[in-house]
Amino acid sequence: MTATETAVGAAAARPAAVRPPLPVKLVIAGGFGVGKTTAVGAISEIEPLTTEAAITEVAAGVDDLTHTPLKTTTTVAMDFGCLTIDPTLKLYLFGTPGQERFGFMWDDLVEGAVGALVIVDTRRLDDCFAAVDYFEHKGIPFAVAANAFDGRVEHTLDEVRWALDVAEGVPLVVFDARDTGSVRDALLVVLELALARTRG
Amino acid sequence: MADGAPPPGPGGPEPVGQASAVRPFLLTAGRVADCSDGRSLPLEAQVVATAEGIDALGRLAFERHDIVAVCRLPQSVAEIAARLRLHLNVVRVLAEDLRAAGQLTVHVPDSGVVQDASVLRRVIEGLRAIPDARGVRSDSD
Repeated sequence: MTATETAVGAAAARPAAVRPPLPVKLVIAGGFGVGKTTAVGAISEIEPLTTEAAITEVAAGVDDLTHTPLKTTTTVAMDFGCLTIDPTLKLYLFGTPGQERFGFMWDDLVEGAVGALVIVDTRRLDDCFAAVDYFEHKGIPFAVAANAFDGRVEHTLDEVRWALDVAEGVPLVVFDARDTGSVRDALLVVLELALARTRG
Repeated sequence: MADGAPPPGPGGPEPVGQASAVRPFLLTAGRVADCSDGRSLPLEAQVVATAEGIDALGRLAFERHDIVAVCRLPQSVAEIAARLRLHLNVVRVLAEDLRAAGQLTVHVPDSGVVQDASVLRRVIEGLRAIPDARGVRSDSD
């Protein structure tokens, strides 16, 4: 994404009547059924929207696919919501399908994201390995949030950190994906981390 | 906890149902979104109808009409796809067409936004102002 707003907008015949807000993107990742949609819905000002993002099963790492991105054998649902910070700034939350084979789509979703929240179900920790690896590899600020199903988690945070083998600098929190304040605080952890990165 | 199947809210968008029988490439005349070099429109790119676009609504048909109509207010590429139940890449291709025709403007966020501390601070402040279920703000405890 090298194009700037001016470079892209300049081709239009006239400026739009309405000045759109600056979109800021945050990614919500994690395995299937871990609570991504619930978390997005708990804080989004709109009902989470779903769009079909379609790729082939053999997508990841196959060069040919880049020439035929509409060729479809697998359709995955990507959920997202948004939050208007002020008329000039809007936060978008994209819930990514967590499975490893959707790596190709992650690049599409994650490009330009300020950070990510990886949601884990402590009963199924291995579901989030792919997401943790991905964000570590990409150097994107991320935090891990253990969703407290029924108000509790199966393992302590120390156990989760050990099991996931995430770096000490990666924040680990327990949250409730259904609770607005809880989701807000988890997102704040990610944003504070992203802000700390800007200070070098 | 069914990811991918949000409950339809009153007045809210309906969940994506059965896929359209029309193949995506028919809507784009066989063209595909160019994702190979990272230049494809980001999901969060903001799209707005121009005055020309609104004027042209009567002459536009099908998906092009719908895209311009839904962009009377700024929409992200992802929102357009979801609201119109179109494939993301179809929206990308058609939005580029409409932009080239002067009927839409497309605002792609500068990639530097990720590193912009002032923007991040504004998002943080905005988020902190969101009350939780008990009406307590996060910066008050």
